[in-house]
Amino acid sequence: MLTTVSLSLLVQALVNGLLLGLVYTLISLGLSLTLGIMGVVNVAHSTLIMLGSYLALELLQRLGLDPIISAVIAVPVFFLIGVLLERLLISRVARTSQTTGLLVLFGVLVVIEGAAILRWTTDTQVLSVSYTNTSLTLDGIAIAVPRLIAAAIALVLVLLLDTFLRSTLYGKAIRAMSQNLDAARISGIDTDRLSLLVFGLATATAGVGGVTLAMIFPFDPQDHYRWLAWAFLVVVIGGLGSIRNTLLAGLLIGLIETLSSVLFPFQYVYFIVYLLLVVALLVRGQGLAGSQSRAL
Amino acid sequence: MMRHAADVPAGSGAPSPNGLASNANAGLSMRGVTAGYYSHDLVLNNVSLNARPGKVTVLLGPNGSGKSTALRVLYGLLRPRSGQILLDGREITTVPPQRRLALGMALLPQGRSVFPELTVQENLEIGGWLLARDRRRLAAALEGVYARYPSLKEWRQKQAGSLSGGQQRLVEIGRMMVADPRVILIDEPSVGLAPVIVDQVYEEIARLKEEQRTILLVDQNVRAAVALADYIYTLEYGRNNLEGERGAFEDRLEALIKSWLRF
Repeated sequence: MLTTVSLSLLVQALVNGLLLGLVYTLISLGLSLTLGIMGVVNVAHSTLIMLGSYLALELLQRLGLDPIISAVIAVPVFFLIGVLLERLLISRVARTSQTTGLLVLFGVLVVIEGAAILRWTTDTQVLSVSYTNTSLTLDGIAIAVPRLIAAAIALVLVLLLDTFLRSTLYGKAIRAMSQNLDAARISGIDTDRLSLLVFGLATATAGVGGVTLAMIFPFDPQDHYRWLAWAFLVVVIGGLGSIRNTLLAGLLIGLIETLSSVLFPFQYVYFIVYLLLVVALLVRGQGLAGSQSRAL
Repeated sequence: MMRHAADVPAGSGAPSPNGLASNANAGLSMRGVTAGYYSHDLVLNNVSLNARPGKVTVLLGPNGSGKSTALRVLYGLLRPRSGQILLDGREITTVPPQRRLALGMALLPQGRSVFPELTVQENLEIGGWLLARDRRRLAAALEGVYARYPSLKEWRQKQAGSLSGGQQRLVEIGRMMVADPRVILIDEPSVGLAPVIVDQVYEEIARLKEEQRTILLVDQNVRAAVALADYIYTLEYGRNNLEGERGAFEDRLEALIKSWLRF
């Protein structure tokens, strides 16, 4: 099996894996931010990703908008959705136990998924634009154009967020808050308002992530659990809150997925990735909580 | 004079007869505060304290007597179930901690509280969060802190978490001083520090005292704290126990510490 893989196929998988890894980074960032900074396990994260995909679909079907434009539109739209979710739900349960928050967000997941099925049915959808089936060929390596664009969008957003957190005073305050909540509050930082900002940003990355995923994969209202597992895997491997580590972990998952799909039969890919999740949780020792020690 | 709590009428600090606020109203005070973390468990039981303006007030007591909780309540990190917190006679019981700095208050918490993955400079910038809209004032405040603590300037680009315990303590003090607070609450300033550093920390508190800042100090290091104190309160089992000027305590220290060891 292994011997039949040619070098060009391997390079092809490598390139694909890196591009995919950027998109995986984007869809995981929000989970990492909310967990790392606010201690919220947002299991509804993947339904927000799914809504991002449908935003792109609606804008394309109704207004003929290219997904690239939809990605830009998704930023304010999903930021607002995140702010509303935080204000109406998260902030009310934040002071109770983490399990309560988990249950509330599971409720959000069920509601969004149910509403999506009512609105869009369970049919599988694809975004079909002029460049959907085109690819660039370089030295015998074909790169699908939608994948390239999706990866570029993801990269831009990841870099913007990283710059925001590193270089602006608000970003530093968010990092301070993730490292020592009480010390941030006694320094005069309104951590409730910053939580609003963090959840808004996290949701915006989920929305744009959904748009980019829709450029690459078909989607339906129920297949988002896969992205939830992928995002958790990235977060467990990369640790919490650190964008650079999330990026490394995202690229790693992308590479593992594409390389294993070249080396092994298709049905093994999921098996390998989920196995990796189990191993990562075991190695981390304390599961998700164990990665909390890595602050932003 | 040292008084037992039983001798002090509850809610002392009532307005003086001439209608002006009495001395006991100035500074930071808590009146009849009852507080705890769980419903069945009271950490503070009807505690009253007053940190007089420009003085060092020390709060002593055995482990678990509620000293640190008193500071948390005074700074708004824990809301009391009953009782009041007053700053210069104005009630601030429900003012959240992030708004206390603007009132001229500051808290130096117990143990490590730097932001470990931010640089020293960034830690100070967070201390100047309230000035964030005014870049020039923030820069001036930072320069002031660097002038006051020159070693901070040397470490400005270092990650705070990479510094030693004593150096981190200085970063915490510097971060607090960016806002130039008038009323300073200090919780166990010497815990976990090397003896040399401990001396420096108390020298710094002495300097804050010389600058006429109002200081409320909670400390296990009884001797060092009493040496700085103007007025002393002791807590036992979450209740007021003794209080009085430093002179009244100095000869009783040994007996006091011994009595706490039985807890």
